[in-house]
Amino acid sequence: MGFMATSIIFFAAGLIASLLVRLCFNRGASTNLFHLTLIITATVCCWMMWAIVYLAQLKPLIVPILSEAE
Amino acid sequence: MKFFNDLPPMDHFRSENMSLVQLIMPVESAQHAVSYLGELGLLQFKDLNGDKSPFQRTFVNQVKRCSEMSRKLRFFADQISKAGVTTYPNPDSEEVIDLEQLEAGRFLGSAQNHLVMAETELVENTYSIKNEDRLSLLEQPEPSKKAGLRFISGIICKSKELIFERMLFRATRGNMFFNQAPAGEQVMDPVSGEMVHKTVFVVFFSGDQARSKILKICQAFGANCYPVPEENNKQKQLTHEVSLRLSELEATLDAGTCHRNKALASIGSQLWNWTIMVKKEKSVYDTLNMLNFDVTKKCLVGEGWCPTFAKPQIKEALHQATIHSNSQVGIIFHDMDSSESPPTYFRTNRFTNAFQEIVDAYGVARFQEANPAVYSVITFPFLFAVMFGDWGHGLCLLFGSLVLILREKKLGSQKLGSFMEIAFGGRYVLLLMAFFSIYCGLIYNEFFSIPFYIFGESAYKCRSTDCSDAQTAGLIKFRDPYPFGVDPKWRGSRSELPFLNSLKMKMSILLGVCQMNLGIILSYFDAKFHGNPLDIQYQFIPQIIFLNSLFGYLALLIVIKWCTGSQADLYHVMIYMFLDPFGNLGENQLFWGQKELQMLLLILAVVAVPWMLFPKPFILKKQHTERFQGRTYGFLGTSEMDLDHEPDSARHQHQEDFNFSEVFVHQMIHSIEFVLGAVSNTASYLRLWALSLAHSELSTVFYEKLLLLAWGYDSIIIRIAGLAVFAFATAFILLMMETLSAFLHALRLHWVEFMNKFYHGDGYKFKPFSFKALADEED
Repeated sequence: MGFMATSIIFFAAGLIASLLVRLCFNRGASTNLFHLTLIITATVCCWMMWAIVYLAQLKPLIVPILSEAE
Repeated sequence: MKFFNDLPPMDHFRSENMSLVQLIMPVESAQHAVSYLGELGLLQFKDLNGDKSPFQRTFVNQVKRCSEMSRKLRFFADQISKAGVTTYPNPDSEEVIDLEQLEAGRFLGSAQNHLVMAETELVENTYSIKNEDRLSLLEQPEPSKKAGLRFISGIICKSKELIFERMLFRATRGNMFFNQAPAGEQVMDPVSGEMVHKTVFVVFFSGDQARSKILKICQAFGANCYPVPEENNKQKQLTHEVSLRLSELEATLDAGTCHRNKALASIGSQLWNWTIMVKKEKSVYDTLNMLNFDVTKKCLVGEGWCPTFAKPQIKEALHQATIHSNSQVGIIFHDMDSSESPPTYFRTNRFTNAFQEIVDAYGVARFQEANPAVYSVITFPFLFAVMFGDWGHGLCLLFGSLVLILREKKLGSQKLGSFMEIAFGGRYVLLLMAFFSIYCGLIYNEFFSIPFYIFGESAYKCRSTDCSDAQTAGLIKFRDPYPFGVDPKWRGSRSELPFLNSLKMKMSILLGVCQMNLGIILSYFDAKFHGNPLDIQYQFIPQIIFLNSLFGYLALLIVIKWCTGSQADLYHVMIYMFLDPFGNLGENQLFWGQKELQMLLLILAVVAVPWMLFPKPFILKKQHTERFQGRTYGFLGTSEMDLDHEPDSARHQHQEDFNFSEVFVHQMIHSIEFVLGAVSNTASYLRLWALSLAHSELSTVFYEKLLLLAWGYDSIIIRIAGLAVFAFATAFILLMMETLSAFLHALRLHWVEFMNKFYHGDGYKFKPFSFKALADEED
């Protein structure tokens, strides 16, 4: 799957998580904003981690050289 | 920007609004009011009598009485534990403290002691006579009597016996004969209440002086002397008498012990309640001592901080106090203005409490400053996981944290050891750390350092069908990259470390630049909230420009290099951006227009430094002279001044002198800290790479050198031994030590690199007068 496709999946997952949290833990406007901040932060962190590792392997400059005992 | 203005205020982002309130209470309802406020726990009283010593305060007698009563209660608790009576605290009944019952119990306790002492003496006496009889210590032929030889017999602690003998020898210059025998059973020493071994002794001597010396030495050593007659039948008679008295006394003692235990048991069930009540009373009087009497001496005046949302609850509590104390006059409760900074109060629940405490450990937030805990809830476990990434270890952490969370109620009510208490307090932090560790472990593709092919096939294959050059030239990439995480073919290859090191270092820089930018952006929101345009224009903007034109640009180069697969050397690019900005880039060119862009960014960075250093102090000086124009004369000390000064502490207005050099130096320090910090903080994020490498290497070593090695043998014993050693090494070194280590480094990254961009942390915590807090403090 490509980079864009998976990024859209991350975005959608964040959206669904925030909707779920709003449905299940609805406790007033300021607390909802707090929950939303947490979800957004988590989604951004997870996406960045994945994107960094994916991009690093896109056009690698070195390849695996197997060691002796395989 | 208008979007941000329209949002509701976020929970936990800024501390609660506080108001300084003044309470005027009539004396009869004061005690009720303060104890109801203690139950509520939402008002922090200010100490208006701070300059008085504890003995000059109004309610000092009541405080003394409470201390006295708590001392008596402690004495009872001691007695109960010594007597070994088990009591079951009965929290339902609320009896009033009955002083007579307390006194009766105390008397029983002391009577008990006397009886025990008397019993001990008699027992010792018995032993001494019995032993001497048995061992024929008094075997003397008739001539000795004629020689005027006399003896003293007694009983002494076994531990002191040797010194005692030596002392006697020295005192009588060797003219004595000492004989001893062990007393048999252990005897209860009435002084210490323990069972000690005792020795029966007899000393033969001659002369009166020797006798007095020996008696004095016996007294000094705490040896009890008992007379033993010489004739046999007299001895028997004495033994009989002593045994009779002993049995009587034992009966009395038994009855006494029974009675005492009953009394203690009945008190014991109430003891805990009473202790709490006395503590509450004492704290109420301590609080009352903080209040002032007003001029009429009929009312107490107090000041305190309370959260604005709590004012209706406090009013209700005061109303209840007025009703219950049958007072005619209500309690007056109103707001006051203040110029000093209020305390910081965050309403945390059990989830956010641990994260808030982590932030508070560095410094309590200034009043209504941006709270980093909001972002730390996610970024702290995330950075931990970047350093800990292994989903096998993550599963172990998850298991541990779930155990703590599911047994929350039970563990919360017990008293835990100090290590368990820390672990229990941080159970939600551990839970989040576990979730993120599992995620990062899946990304790094490490399960106790074993890679898996969960997300599909590897992107690498051999160049030729027989894989002849796999060990020399390596595999080639023939498909799209592995969809999620690090390709499993890298594990165990010879070029694994160069690849992973490059990946993790660049990842650390990217994550670091993002977190630092977040910190600077939070400083923008702070400046906007406090209405401080100076900070925005002359601090936020140059800081963003400086950081991003250097390290934001580096992050951009990293991403471009990855996307284009260029072979450019980024170190070279960054260094020659400064050393030779006009030079030709050659093969280090990553995109068109790079040289021009680099020159522009360099100029922006160089301009940003004086921008954040110079304008602000001058503008502050100009503002100050405008505001305080005409007030450059100092205050004259006339009597009219005193009318302005009220006895309330919070209303002092200060005439601040504007010390330009101080402000300028402060700004210079701030700018230098930022500029140099930009480089050092970015490099500091490389610890994410270092710890993740260490964890992965340790994991590999334990797996390959312990488990695989042991599994290679055929013997089942060696296999099980290997498994056991692997489990221990994983549990103690990887799970405990590495967890603590990664926790510490993630903490440092937050406290220093993230928080020094926007956080002041020089506030003070809201500590309300609360009975619940008192109970927690005691434990």
